[in-house]
Amino acid sequence: MDLTFNDEEAAFRDELRAWLGANDAGPEPQGDEDAHYRWRRDWQRQLADARWAGVHWPSEFGGRSATLTQSAIFFEELGRSRAPLPADVLGLLLAGPTLMVWGTDAQKERLLPTILNAEEPWCQGFSEPDAGSDLAALKTRAVRDGDDWVVTGQKVWTSGAQFAKWCMLVARTDFETPKKHQGLTYFVLDMDQPGVIVRPLRQITGEAEFNELFLQEARIPDDAVVGGVGNGWKVAMTTLMNERSGLAFFLQVRLRNQLDKLIEEVAARGMLDGAGGNAIAQKLGDLHVKAEVIRLTAYRGLTAIERYGQPGPEGSLTKWMWSQANQELTQLAVDLLGDEALTADSPWSYELLRARGNSIEGGTTEVLKNIVAERVLGLPRMR
Amino acid sequence: MNFDFSDDQREIKRTARDLLAGRSSFERVRAAAEAPAPPAYDPALISELGELGWPGIAVCEEHGGQGLGAVELGILLEELGYACAATPFLGTVLAALAIEHAGSSQQRERWLPGLASGEVRGALGSAGAIVPDAPGAAVVVLLDDDGGATVLDTAQDGVTVQTVATIDPTRASGRVSARADVGEELPGDVAAAVGRAAIAVAGELVGISQRALEMTLAYVKERKQFDIPVGAFQAVSHRCAQMLLYTESARSATYYAAWAADAEPQRLAEAAALAKAAASEAGREVTASAIQAHGGIGFTWEADVHWLYKRAQLDAAFLGGTGTHRATLARLVSTRLHTMDA
Ligand SMILES: Cc1cc2nc3c(=O)[nH]c(=O)nc-3n(C[C@H](O)[C@H](O)[C@H](O)COP(=O)(O)OP(=O)(O)OC[C@H]3O[C@@H](n4cnc5c(N)ncnc54)[C@H](O)[C@@H]3O)c2cc1C
Repeated sequence: MDLTFNDEEAAFRDELRAWLGANDAGPEPQGDEDAHYRWRRDWQRQLADARWAGVHWPSEFGGRSATLTQSAIFFEELGRSRAPLPADVLGLLLAGPTLMVWGTDAQKERLLPTILNAEEPWCQGFSEPDAGSDLAALKTRAVRDGDDWVVTGQKVWTSGAQFAKWCMLVARTDFETPKKHQGLTYFVLDMDQPGVIVRPLRQITGEAEFNELFLQEARIPDDAVVGGVGNGWKVAMTTLMNERSGLAFFLQVRLRNQLDKLIEEVAARGMLDGAGGNAIAQKLGDLHVKAEVIRLTAYRGLTAIERYGQPGPEGSLTKWMWSQANQELTQLAVDLLGDEALTADSPWSYELLRARGNSIEGGTTEVLKNIVAERVLGLPRMR
Repeated sequence: MNFDFSDDQREIKRTARDLLAGRSSFERVRAAAEAPAPPAYDPALISELGELGWPGIAVCEEHGGQGLGAVELGILLEELGYACAATPFLGTVLAALAIEHAGSSQQRERWLPGLASGEVRGALGSAGAIVPDAPGAAVVVLLDDDGGATVLDTAQDGVTVQTVATIDPTRASGRVSARADVGEELPGDVAAAVGRAAIAVAGELVGISQRALEMTLAYVKERKQFDIPVGAFQAVSHRCAQMLLYTESARSATYYAAWAADAEPQRLAEAAALAKAAASEAGREVTASAIQAHGGIGFTWEADVHWLYKRAQLDAAFLGGTGTHRATLARLVSTRLHTMDA
């Protein structure tokens, strides 16, 4: 065990720090969702131009062929400099890695480069009105028609569909098999066609980050099947693994930033001073421990992937830990900063409400616990 | 011992539930919350509640009220919370409570008849903090840091009510400030008045929790995943059981406190802290759980659970949250033990 960075990693970090010191995203636009998105997109382009967007991607696809540890360093440094997150997180962390595992050479060549510079953003079309936790129950149908597939059905909660060029789409292609996990196929759907209708869904924060997606005889060419016909469940699991471990790694950096911001605000009010400050310090300290444990556990997961090719059991824990810590953090902010954190313009009130989605998106906490119980602990399934 | 409502009290509760189901459905609440400058209160509901004498339920008859007590007021607030009603009721009854129990006879004569009939709107809250129903209030009882309170006529020069948009668009909120030479001091027992106000808010939180629980139960019985209702999964059913535990704990503490406020006022301070501590926790936990048990739907603006979550967050923070009241309780108990020893 050696938890220091080796020379190569340290050099990588220093180069990145220097770059982040010289480049920034400019002021954050307030109150306009589209302007906010463009701001993050332009920032991703700046990163991509300097080959910082997909550092762990192979160099042939515009990355740096960096190790997973280096990519972790990337996110930590991004967080440390308080830079915004790139716009197409779903492309960078979900679609890209899935295509690298399952995509054909032609798919990789066509699709990967435009992820990096946010030219063609992605969305994830998995959930349906009747298939949320029970994803395998999905009903969207894809039927062959010559060299194409014709897709009909409805997806829901599709984040970023309003900006997306491509969609990671899972649809049913075999209606006979008795097992519902079989008979699914993973497609790359071009969002730019008449058969694809995106309708925004407003969330409890007032924003519409996610959407309903209606597919009315949308067409997908056969060469846009990812990982083979009937193999969609496995491919989707690759995406979900990346969502739950990779994305959580990236999000823990945001958690860290929010916690630092809260500690600063609380300290500036003198609330940590004296004996009375003890109880508050304990609560903040508790969250610090949680944030550090998530970070360290995520690093252990990286080592496991580097050494054994797959995340260990701790990979299933990070998304659960993160959502819980983020909900606690935002509620604590309200407790400590008082009712001004509940005013509409306070950034904390947005965070408080947004955090409620954390234990639902990407698999609910209940479902993640089932997975831990069944696959990690080997406990019997309920049915 | 009889820890239950009387027939009359039960009747008040049933009538209130029925009335609000018709007059303050979630469609109406939503209409008020989604108006261009929310909340857009329904004037018909305000006047109907006034005609029914609700604002004056706990105001003495001498000043135009119904002369009932904290329990009856709590019942109405519980039902208004259950409906998440968008109507400026809370502030008015809190101002009336404070003026009735800590005001001078002159202050009572001046303000109580109007507050009791609902013709005059009121508010109560701390200087610097968010005061529910402050915009539109003719009279504000403003609590200061030293345990005192001032009665402010908002039409007077030197009184400022600034509207504040909060995450809860079903209720108008504001911050109130006043020049030092404006307003009249509330001469009586301000702490007791604030205790009564905290119990009233706890009543609203009990209603919010009850509604969130019921909506969740209805949903998880209906919603199927893996071919069975999600309520059959223990992760969900145990969560619902926990929601009931929070709600019933808040209910026990709040009903007790409402009773004690009139029957055993020497217990008021402790009972109020107990009620507000338990009800603030219940309101926040139960409504958060309601969102979780609804899955993706619970996170949408279209579903109605978020109104309850937001109302609960504001109510929990108002007049001190769980932490503040727990600390108060520990100190009260310590003092009591000390005096017993002495
Ligand atoms: C902010 C946000 C963004 C999202 N973005 C996307 C996206 O981009 N693409 C996409 O495809 N999806 C997205 N989702 C959808 C998300 O994956 C689903 O909401 C989630 O999987 C839950 O499904 P559901 O909403 O149908 O809830 P349900 O499955 O109906 O769950 C209802 C309740 O039952 C519980 N439950 C269900 N099954 C079990 C079980 N077996 N054991 C115990 N408890 C159970 C759940 O935990 C939950 O509490 C997003 C969701 C949110 C909130």
